[in-house]
Amino acid sequence: MIKCVIWDLDDTLLTGVYLESPGRRPPANPELAGLLADLAGRGILQAIASRNPPEAAEHAERVTGHAFAATECGWEAKSAAITSIMTDLGLAADEVAFVDDDALERAEVSFSLPDVLVLAPRDVADAASWPAFSPPVVTDEARRRGELYAQRRARQDEARAFGGSRDEFLRYCEQRLTIAPASRPDLPRLHELSVRTHQFSSTGEAVGEAAFASLLESADHRVITARLSDRFGDDGLVGCCVIATSAPAAEGAAARAWEIQALMMSCRAMGRGVIDALLAWICRAAREGGADQARLPCVINPRNVPLRIALTGAGFRVEDQPTRVPAPRGVQGGRPPGPAPRGVQGGRPPGLARYVRRLDQALPELPGWVSA
Amino acid sequence: MTGQPDVTGQLRRILAELTDDSAPLEAPLDTALLRDGIGLDSLRGAALLARVHSQFGVDVAGEDLNLDAMATIGTLAAFIAHRVAVRAPGG
Repeated sequence: MIKCVIWDLDDTLLTGVYLESPGRRPPANPELAGLLADLAGRGILQAIASRNPPEAAEHAERVTGHAFAATECGWEAKSAAITSIMTDLGLAADEVAFVDDDALERAEVSFSLPDVLVLAPRDVADAASWPAFSPPVVTDEARRRGELYAQRRARQDEARAFGGSRDEFLRYCEQRLTIAPASRPDLPRLHELSVRTHQFSSTGEAVGEAAFASLLESADHRVITARLSDRFGDDGLVGCCVIATSAPAAEGAAARAWEIQALMMSCRAMGRGVIDALLAWICRAAREGGADQARLPCVINPRNVPLRIALTGAGFRVEDQPTRVPAPRGVQGGRPPGPAPRGVQGGRPPGLARYVRRLDQALPELPGWVSA
Repeated sequence: MTGQPDVTGQLRRILAELTDDSAPLEAPLDTALLRDGIGLDSLRGAALLARVHSQFGVDVAGEDLNLDAMATIGTLAAFIAHRVAVRAPGG
């Protein structure tokens, strides 16, 4: 699925070369500007990578009437500009399309970033009908996505200029995170979140609307949403967790556990303390609900490392495997810290780790900007 | 252990780059990487591990599920140096 289209400006999104026409700057290419608006309406982000001064991006925003999610103007290679945009927006190369009229630029990007979809301007209209550009559901969040990322840019600019700590900045932004049970109108967005989220996803796979709907009806489950807003704008529903509240803590044990069967957070909320706050809330709610442990099965893949770092930070540990064949004596001592449990024998799917948080230990603080 | 000072130095330079701050170049080895120490958040923590993977060929996130190696500058440098030494031919 393409999540972002990155546009060249000169002779692509603009009908002319920005620096060659100082008196009368070139207008937008009407056909491509129309396609850009169409794609943005489907929830696909739009960005600029151009060999021009930064004013060129401001000009492009004026003539297209679009607020771009990210802009990279400068004289570095286009592949470097695209890499910066991917890092900034939390995107993988196969989620990005790049449009440029210059065959040499397209070749450089194809060579350096083979997973990026590289298009000539004449191919964009055709590509827009491909499934990769057609998300199955377009939620309200999706339609507003470009605007939300433009707010994110404004927030980041202010954060760079801000002198204090991150917490002080969040207070200055008047950030609010509202944690509440999900309801039926949330179903399309919950499904969409499960499809789009990779870096903060414990399941690594999509959850259908029907599955979420059944969980809403279940007396043994709680589906929890997290909504984020601040003075820059309202990001809407950015996080979700599905909790089974009546799981036994461990085989044969009398203790009770909350099992977090899915945990996900939007990339857009990255860097704003949301995942840490959500984990703190889960631990506290589980303890208030009489549980001794919070448990979280989590897929181990290269993309959700940020989630695993947050889990470790919130005091979750990968459980020892009671069903694992014991290692011969003496093997353990010679290893560096924390070897991966490989060849697990317990019938567990490969790549799944069981995280456990004991609730009789000190729990992480719930920040003042969370309301639940 | 001969390789470790070099690993530590490279690690410090990566940290300085990721935080846009020279403090990690001088910080004590027992400085925490996350939160109160260097102050990496989960995303920059992941970026650090991605850089370590590409620069040293050591997949910390894949080998250390609890990410204990990410405790401090010193523990991460030791983890990387150990893996590099184990992999070295004849070593």
